[in-house]
Amino acid sequence: MTKTGMIDFRGVNKWFGALNVLKDITLSVEPREVVVVCGPSGSGKSTLIRCVNGLETIKDGNLIVDGQRVGDPATNMTSLRTEIGFVFQSFNLYPHKTALENVTLAPIHVRKIPRAEAEKAGRELLAKVGLADKVNAYPAQLSGGQQQRVAIARCLGMRPKIMLFDEPTSALDPEMISEVLDVMVAVAEEGMTMMVVTHEMGFARKVAQRVVFMDAGAIVESGTPDEFFSHPRTDRSRAFLSKILRH
Amino acid sequence: MIWHQFLSLAGSYPLALRGLGMTVVLSLISLVLGTLLGFGLGILRTGGNRLISIIIGAWVDLIRGTPFLVQIFLIFFILPEFGIELDAFTAGIRSVPTGQVEAALASGLSRWQRMRQVVLPQAMRIVLPPLVGQYVLLIKDSSVVSAIGLTDLTRVGWLVVQRVPNGLLVFFLVGVGYFIVCYPLIMLARRLERRIGAAHGEVQL
Amino acid sequence: MLENFSFRTIVEYLPLFGQGLVTTVWLSALSFVGALIVGIVLCAMNLQRGWLFRAPAKAYIDAVRATPLLAQLYFLYFGLPRLGFVLPELVVGIIALSLNSGAYIAEIIRAGILSIPRGQVEASVASGMTYVQRMRLVVLPQAFKVTIPPLLGQAIVLVKDSALLSLISVAELTRAGQLLASDRFMPAEGFLTIAAFYLLLYYCIKGLAVLSSRWLGTAGARA
Repeated sequence: MTKTGMIDFRGVNKWFGALNVLKDITLSVEPREVVVVCGPSGSGKSTLIRCVNGLETIKDGNLIVDGQRVGDPATNMTSLRTEIGFVFQSFNLYPHKTALENVTLAPIHVRKIPRAEAEKAGRELLAKVGLADKVNAYPAQLSGGQQQRVAIARCLGMRPKIMLFDEPTSALDPEMISEVLDVMVAVAEEGMTMMVVTHEMGFARKVAQRVVFMDAGAIVESGTPDEFFSHPRTDRSRAFLSKILRH
Repeated sequence: MIWHQFLSLAGSYPLALRGLGMTVVLSLISLVLGTLLGFGLGILRTGGNRLISIIIGAWVDLIRGTPFLVQIFLIFFILPEFGIELDAFTAGIRSVPTGQVEAALASGLSRWQRMRQVVLPQAMRIVLPPLVGQYVLLIKDSSVVSAIGLTDLTRVGWLVVQRVPNGLLVFFLVGVGYFIVCYPLIMLARRLERRIGAAHGEVQL
Repeated sequence: MLENFSFRTIVEYLPLFGQGLVTTVWLSALSFVGALIVGIVLCAMNLQRGWLFRAPAKAYIDAVRATPLLAQLYFLYFGLPRLGFVLPELVVGIIALSLNSGAYIAEIIRAGILSIPRGQVEASVASGMTYVQRMRLVVLPQAFKVTIPPLLGQAIVLVKDSALLSLISVAELTRAGQLLASDRFMPAEGFLTIAAFYLLLYYCIKGLAVLSSRWLGTAGARA
């Protein structure tokens, strides 16, 4: 039996109509590994991680997550999703719930954890992301950076095995980016398996074991952050890096 | 049995045509008068005179807050007491436009006025979809004139059903008559709305 | 002119008007509940992916919207007995109002649900919620707020529409006015009085709408 990773793409393809948005993707993410995915917009990087928890369906190939095949009728996607936290670019907090309620909603209703216990854990998580004083605030009363930290706490509340981040800082004002990245670093250092779509190179250098560069739906290059940022091997990655470095 | 009823129904098609004609004519006249009146009230209401706009606002509330049937009874039975003799047809016309059209226009136009920099064509695009929607309501509301004895489509159905005791069939056909008139307008309103939505860059659902 | 307008007669008929008002209120309330049920079912059908449920729901909604309530009322009033259902006029009226308003309410609820941003649904999917949990915990509570004002608007329409039931002899408010008009030849007294009562109901629901928008505006999110 071959050893499988926590997340295992094997020859995955996806089309939007005639457009081949994921081309023969093969990629394995080991437990406790942090993989940063980058690439120009439209390169398929968001689609790639959205496939992991089934927000997008794949056309062919195999995608095995935590030992279960995504898209297989025998796989209970709902229960698989409870093991995967997903942080959106636009936060997607529930506007009619307080910060604490956002964090405890799924643990109480999906994990069936008693309310008191879930709330205790929820308060601890919000304290951990530096929002102990915002427990009862509604999303509309929070800044973008604070909302994104609540969103991360909301994922952690489910005690997931995997965390996926889809451009978590690109909707934020520059001064709020670091507060979110600090939380992500802390999560990574606790040994979480993570796939992060981001262009934040500081974050990648600090915690990522691997950087994957995508272009036009295919993985073009993959290596350690040092290799990738200092010695990109392809023209396309060099062109991409020169663009983001200029900012 | 059914066949017999069909023959009997086919025999009353001139009456049905007259009813449909009455519904269409009544609606058309009301539609024109109602639109003119609505524009007049709408412009007066947004004209800046507080007293006038309060009076028109109260009038619109009065119209919106009472059933159309009651309004038509009031006009039909009470105007004669003021020495104004109306035949049923005029009463029908008088009351149909005082229905909802000017209310829609009044609110549409006040919105227009609030955005002073917006030019007329753009205002028309805002007003048009709800206006067409109101025309559909107007045509449907015109069925109520059957209550004061006008032989419109609904009254024809009511008359025919006394002779041909198949209410399902008769009023199904009456419904088809209205559907033929109203449905194209509903489609038009939807298309206009979609075009405005697209112009404003809203997401299509 | 109205120089012999008789307030005495109105007072004399006040119990009749009172009964009519009460009937109008409860039959409207009952019809509104019925319409909510019809609307929710239609909306659920309309939100399905397959055409099997969607097509009939859409056809029904279009048919109701393109024909007058009075024709629908007569359709049921003259048609139901043919199908073997001989029901009291009042029941026929409530059914007609429920079926009619239900079509409009279905569209109101649908608009409310579709107004919830896609990201909200994705967030709840990603956290492992089932369809029912998503609807119950995330979508419907938010859609609820959006639908309250138009639902109250529909309630006003329903109360006014209920006047048409007088044409199939249901003893509601308008019928009371008709009785005064025909018994004593006093149409002014009859119809002006019921107009005042309808206005009262109108302002009650409008007041409710103002209260609810204030309440909904302060509670929870202010996005």
